[in-house]
Amino acid sequence: MMEALNGLLTGFGVILTPANLYLCFLGSLIGTLVGVLPGVGPLAALALLLPVTFTLSPIGGMVMLASIFYGAMYGGSTTSILLNIPGEAASVVTCIDGHQMARQGRAGPALGIAAIGSFIAGTLGVVIMTFFAPAIAAAAIRFGPPENFALMVLGLVCTLFMISGSTIKGVLMMALGFLTAAVGLDVVNGRERYTFGSVDLSGGIELLALVIGLFGVAEILSNVETMAKTTLLADRIRGLWPSLADWRASWRAILRGSGLGFVLGLVPGGGPVTAAFMSYALEKRIAAQPDRFGKGAIEGVAGPESANNSAVAGSLIPVLSLGIPGNPVTALLLGALIIQGIQPGPLFIAQRPDLFWGIVASMYVGNVFLLLLNLPLVGLWVQFLRIPYRVMFPVVLLLCVVGTYSANKNVFDLWVMLAFGVAGYVLRKLEYDLAPFVIAFVLAPLLEQSLRQSLVMSSDGAMILIKRPVTGLLLAASVVLTFLMFRRRTKTEGGLP
Amino acid sequence: MFERALNVFWVVLGAASAVYAWSLGMIGPAGPESGLFPFIASVIVASAGVVLLLRPATVAHAPDFPRGGGLWRVLGVILGLIVMAAGMPYLGFSVTSFITMIILLRTVDRSSWLSAVTLAFLSTVSVFWLFGSMLGMALPRGPWGW
Repeated sequence: MMEALNGLLTGFGVILTPANLYLCFLGSLIGTLVGVLPGVGPLAALALLLPVTFTLSPIGGMVMLASIFYGAMYGGSTTSILLNIPGEAASVVTCIDGHQMARQGRAGPALGIAAIGSFIAGTLGVVIMTFFAPAIAAAAIRFGPPENFALMVLGLVCTLFMISGSTIKGVLMMALGFLTAAVGLDVVNGRERYTFGSVDLSGGIELLALVIGLFGVAEILSNVETMAKTTLLADRIRGLWPSLADWRASWRAILRGSGLGFVLGLVPGGGPVTAAFMSYALEKRIAAQPDRFGKGAIEGVAGPESANNSAVAGSLIPVLSLGIPGNPVTALLLGALIIQGIQPGPLFIAQRPDLFWGIVASMYVGNVFLLLLNLPLVGLWVQFLRIPYRVMFPVVLLLCVVGTYSANKNVFDLWVMLAFGVAGYVLRKLEYDLAPFVIAFVLAPLLEQSLRQSLVMSSDGAMILIKRPVTGLLLAASVVLTFLMFRRRTKTEGGLP
Repeated sequence: MFERALNVFWVVLGAASAVYAWSLGMIGPAGPESGLFPFIASVIVASAGVVLLLRPATVAHAPDFPRGGGLWRVLGVILGLIVMAAGMPYLGFSVTSFITMIILLRTVDRSSWLSAVTLAFLSTVSVFWLFGSMLGMALPRGPWGW
């Protein structure tokens, strides 16, 4: 307890400098903008800005990237409420009741409760993270390669358990992620694999080119396909502060959303999108009058918006304390840390307390920035919606090119981006979930290294993975989850999963 | 039909990759070799492809690919990116992105020549200024030095 408080003080010492405060504010600002603008998700924005952070200190870069992530959760509700168009995926469910409230002339209280709920949940999430993450890291510090391997396997199985759509397609995407990561030099002995004599491939597939292609270019291709020649407009908003009746109806939903979001953020494969949907389902299920939902119930805005913000704090715990990302955004954050020469994991807090606690402290500060940015400035964000997508998308595409090129100064990466963009577009059409692919791609080198180290240190081969108690337990949990997953899918889909 | 063809592709890709991974070596005197991990992944890809192929035809998804204007817009973006990747080493960032923007605005948005050229010029200059000058990123330059 005292250790965590001391750590937090260290973190505030790190973050409360003009440069880091500026980066936190800038990230919050960009995150809000990304959340507000439909068609630009937090993942694409993070990927685009990742090369910019290479010129910053590790703490400055991570503070900026993390604040873009949680800032997008705040901003995403604006378009959902005003226009019935989600700014990003975690705000899809906010459209249902948020837009109904706007149609009833109550856009102000809907936006207000979304921002205040996000602030409360975001802050609660960080408070829990402050005490929870060091405890997890302390428990995991005794882990060796077999335990790390089993933990990553469990994380991947959880990801598959939580994905929408076909499990088999998820498994296939995960294996493809491993194969794609195998291109280049073998992490252990430096031998070339899948390069076919190409110098460009010997360095491996660039993470940024892959992510920008799959999530930036593919998103643009999907959007231009159905592009309407209209500009998004919204009416003037009045009275942002919710009434007493609104507060009475919302406070429990905010607290429930905060708790549920945090737990779902912790689970690999969970994260803000799942948290928002689950919170809405929960609120509707326990409501005294469930028929109010879909007709402008404020709990339908307060719960999911709180849940998606709380999930951000939850999802940062496994990546920072165990080195295991639970969703593509945290996979990219892990990639960003690795590029900076930092390996998150159980030793991360002990070895880089300034960085860990700096990120935690920046989230307290960032939440305050975001409340200030989202409540009084909501009118300004609405103005951005006047920019037509036909004007916006070519600029976003140019940013994709610059972001991809600047990682290695290599034009080959642009071809990689294009290939993954087209592949992502087609695979989305065929309902393949791309999250397991990205997570597997980032985890593959660590997973392979752990597996090979485990086998080298074992006197009886793969039995080491069963004989060690923690490893055995984690792998048993993975097997049980896999069984449940296939049984559930077979039941619901009435055939092959 | 398209999804069936893709499932066949997964099987072929997985099988070919497994054969290649096998040639890299599985287990040697010093422990696991370079081929073990990709071999496991390849087998999973091929097996998942087989399972998807075995699904009843009614479960296979018929993708809603674009037609008409939507198809042209998608192809316009892909063409723009091809021009960008192919032209940048020779023409530099500014000229290539200017050409790409005109392609995008003319094919995707059907803008008039005047607005396409104006918007292409403004956005190229803005991006070059922001990333090339302000953030100090080394963007490729053409033979004329910009």
